[in-house]
Amino acid sequence: MKRLSPTRLGFAVFAVALLLYPLVFTNPFFLDIGVTFLLAAISASAWNIVGGYAGQISVGHSMFFGLGAYAPLLFYQWLGWPPMAGIPIGIAASVVLAIIIGMPTFRLTGHYFSMATIAVAELIRIFTGTWDFVGAAIGLQGPATARGWWDLTFRGETPYYYIFLGVLAVLLFITHTIERRRFGYYLRAIKARERAARSLGVPVLQIKMKALMLSATFTSLAGSLYAIKTGFIDPESGFGILVSVQMVIIAALGGAGTLFGPLLGALILIPLQSATNTWFGGGGSGLTYILYGGIIVLIARFEPGGLFELWHRVVAKYRSRRHAA
Amino acid sequence: MDRSWMKFAAAAACLLLFGAHLAEAADSVKIGIIWPLTGNAAAAGQASKAAAEVAADIVNNAHPELGDLPLAKTAGLPNLGGAKLELVFADHQGNPSLAQQLATRLITQDRVNVLMGAYQSSCSFTATAVAERYGIPFMVGESAALNITGRGFKWVFRGTPIASDYARTYMRFFADMKKQGKKIDSIAIVNENTDYGTSVADAIAAEAKNANIPVAIRIPYSASSTDVSAQVLQLKEKRPDVVIFISYTADSILYMKTLKNLDYKPPMIIGDDTGFSDPSFIPAVADIAQGVMNRSAWAIGKPGSVTYKINEMYKAKTGRDLDDTSARNMQSFFALADAINRAGSTDPEKIRIALTQTDLKPEQLMMGYQGVKFDSTGQNILASTYLIQLHGKTYDLVWPERAATAQLQWPMAGWAK
Amino acid sequence: MLLVQVLVGGLLLGAIYALFSSGLTLIWGMMNFINFAHGEFVMLGMYAALLVVVWLGGGPAVFGVVVALFLFFMGVAVYASLIRHVLRGPMLAQILSTFGLALLLRYTAFWIFSANFVSLPETWLSGSIDVGGIWLPIPQLIAGLLAITLTIVLHLLLTRTTVGSRLLAVAEDRNAAMLMGIRPDRMQALAWGLSASAAGIAGALMATAYPWSPSVGETFGLIAFVVVALGGFGSVPGAMYAGLIIGLIQSVSAFWLGPIYKDIVVYALFAVLLWLRPQGLMGRA
Repeated sequence: MKRLSPTRLGFAVFAVALLLYPLVFTNPFFLDIGVTFLLAAISASAWNIVGGYAGQISVGHSMFFGLGAYAPLLFYQWLGWPPMAGIPIGIAASVVLAIIIGMPTFRLTGHYFSMATIAVAELIRIFTGTWDFVGAAIGLQGPATARGWWDLTFRGETPYYYIFLGVLAVLLFITHTIERRRFGYYLRAIKARERAARSLGVPVLQIKMKALMLSATFTSLAGSLYAIKTGFIDPESGFGILVSVQMVIIAALGGAGTLFGPLLGALILIPLQSATNTWFGGGGSGLTYILYGGIIVLIARFEPGGLFELWHRVVAKYRSRRHAA
Repeated sequence: MDRSWMKFAAAAACLLLFGAHLAEAADSVKIGIIWPLTGNAAAAGQASKAAAEVAADIVNNAHPELGDLPLAKTAGLPNLGGAKLELVFADHQGNPSLAQQLATRLITQDRVNVLMGAYQSSCSFTATAVAERYGIPFMVGESAALNITGRGFKWVFRGTPIASDYARTYMRFFADMKKQGKKIDSIAIVNENTDYGTSVADAIAAEAKNANIPVAIRIPYSASSTDVSAQVLQLKEKRPDVVIFISYTADSILYMKTLKNLDYKPPMIIGDDTGFSDPSFIPAVADIAQGVMNRSAWAIGKPGSVTYKINEMYKAKTGRDLDDTSARNMQSFFALADAINRAGSTDPEKIRIALTQTDLKPEQLMMGYQGVKFDSTGQNILASTYLIQLHGKTYDLVWPERAATAQLQWPMAGWAK
Repeated sequence: MLLVQVLVGGLLLGAIYALFSSGLTLIWGMMNFINFAHGEFVMLGMYAALLVVVWLGGGPAVFGVVVALFLFFMGVAVYASLIRHVLRGPMLAQILSTFGLALLLRYTAFWIFSANFVSLPETWLSGSIDVGGIWLPIPQLIAGLLAITLTIVLHLLLTRTTVGSRLLAVAEDRNAAMLMGIRPDRMQALAWGLSASAAGIAGALMATAYPWSPSVGETFGLIAFVVVALGGFGSVPGAMYAGLIIGLIQSVSAFWLGPIYKDIVVYALFAVLLWLRPQGLMGRA
């Protein structure tokens, strides 16, 4: 029988904890933090496919998130359809956009991809703010009260929690599968040494494109979930640079290019944000951000590979000690 | 650094006391307030926070010197056995999803009896929806978007006038001026392009059409612009008789400087509150913006008056004069406190009913409204506004004439000596 | 006549863009490092100028020098305490570190100076002059000329002096430079000092005309990225041309199409350029 590794064991405990969380913390505020955590974990894991595994650092993933967020509320606004009808349209639009972005920029290396993604996301954000059809600067609202279950407008947070948890599970499963297939090896080869990978016959451009399209699909889905849950979207909360930055920070904090890194990043960052905001936010001194910024700097300085690496080191130490004993 | 550690320690101590705190919450009324205390709108949120704290002080302690202002004479809420108001502030950072989470937290965790907020319309949209779901009254102190009220919500009230009220005020003013022989053949509207500027500019354009006043040009722009000369040159080309600016702080100051630098002075400039009312505006550009008009329902008044005393209290706390935005939030706060007192209970439904029955008279207000009375959508229908004009280093009330304390200057002097 | 005025305004604005972007491009070119906190250096320059004026009562000449020195030391301090350690780490850790730094600087300023908008008191710089029907605002005029001068000085420093060739040697090949007896650490610290200094002076110059609050850095940070990418990473002359071009594009499109479209035009052109000439105007392919 295969021995249970500490990482697997940790994951199993964590998965059970996630499943039981709404049963233990029935308070809507804690549930909402749980939902926020799941959403952040989905977005960061989706970003991780192209940003972590393929090493193509996008700082404009909000473009996919925003497209996914606007599509459902546009369907509701103009056709009166249930918002979730817009999810496939958001995904389709995101994939098309991914192709448009990827084609020119993936031929280049270095920071060009990062720069291009920032520019395109900003372009879309500013443009959305001037376009009345999508609500311009004021934004779009979802149904205030549900007309039926299909509106996915629930009074409590629990249904959202389990829907989001389901999406996260699917995404992690897909990522896990990729990791072990040839596609995953190609991605890591590109990240490590793109030129070498190309000379060994890896179809670099095609692999990068596929990774970006897959990443865009799930980021768009995360955006749709956000919009349906919040019932509101405007240019800043859909396409704002902070949306993109949050994905990068969470993935990098936990460990980019690892399956559970983004999960760990979200697990630390989201409760930290909620806690500092609860304790210091009302004082309005900006202490929330000073702490937040300080922690990010410290982790980048002392744990540049992300916290997941720390976990690996702890596990390794524990093992060697046991072997020694 | 020392101070920061003290703040940190104080916050930690508060946290420890939290448990003990819950026990004594019974004899106080909790008001949860959600504002942007950090982020791009932090200045407005911070100023309003200080205003709410002054308002709570007025309600909680005996202030007989403040005349007819409801709840000022007595300490606490008399109908609730002298219960005090307790404010719980939360910072939504301008993020609508966070505003939603904070509304949930304040209702379910801090167990507030009523909510107030949220400045940006985006955050008001999401936070009010939570209050509606939980059946907790929500007082929208100041948010521009028209459809925050009128979505069929039962629990949402808005104490401040809205864009269409302002637009009608401007049109009445123009009609008055025309009667006096002033030339107003065309106006220009320059608006920042987020929810605030867009809502107000739309309303003005619509009312101008009704009033048959041509809009020579409408210029939406982004408030984070570092240079506004193109806008000023566009105005210079069209030569309108009145320019209405709907701007935030940095941009309103920048406009005044750029108008002077490019030597273009329209006959009259009207600033739509916000940036023109920011305490930073007058020190920065008073010398070159003489005669600029501004809308405001707030006037500091003569020494000895109730408003003057309120301003003194605010000044003692912050070192700055109370601005119109914070004052409107403060007025909404008083209306809310008055309703809680009349309800005689912390039961949300009773407070909601009391809010619908609100009927405050002009002499009971700190603002220049005709009263506070909510229609079936929750909008205050008696809210109105004055027009003020910059003379020297202060704004004087110049319109309507019945309330005016100074003579209207037309055309404006600008930077002329 | 109006169009000439628009063009002049665009050039003056572009000159400032050029100055603070030249600092960003220096770091980018030398260390292949994106500094997301660059806009924050501009913000610090603005507050430093304010403090000098309020405390020491000096004019622009005084605060210009003080700000340049202060920001130089800030830049060196940031390098020594943070950047040096993440420089050889993964790229994501680099991005993370300057994001965190940006938040830290912005909200420390917020803590100290509050969220309120401030502006510099009027100085002898205020006002404008009329040159044949074209109005030239004196603060922007001086700022613009000074910005161009400083950008050129920075370029000359890099290309014509021993220190400059040492800096470029480190950028070119760190190990080879070490063998030549150059200490890369010192050179890189110097680059950070110069970079922050350029941003700080640009901020101080802007402050003579523009009111600000702690979140002002965000606006300038984004502009600087576009300027640098347009001009070519690492090219100081490229940043200068790109800054001027973007200033012009913004002014002209704001005048003709309306101000809300000016950034759309800039980003759209940028996207097209990335497609056609991804290495930027002056960048090496």
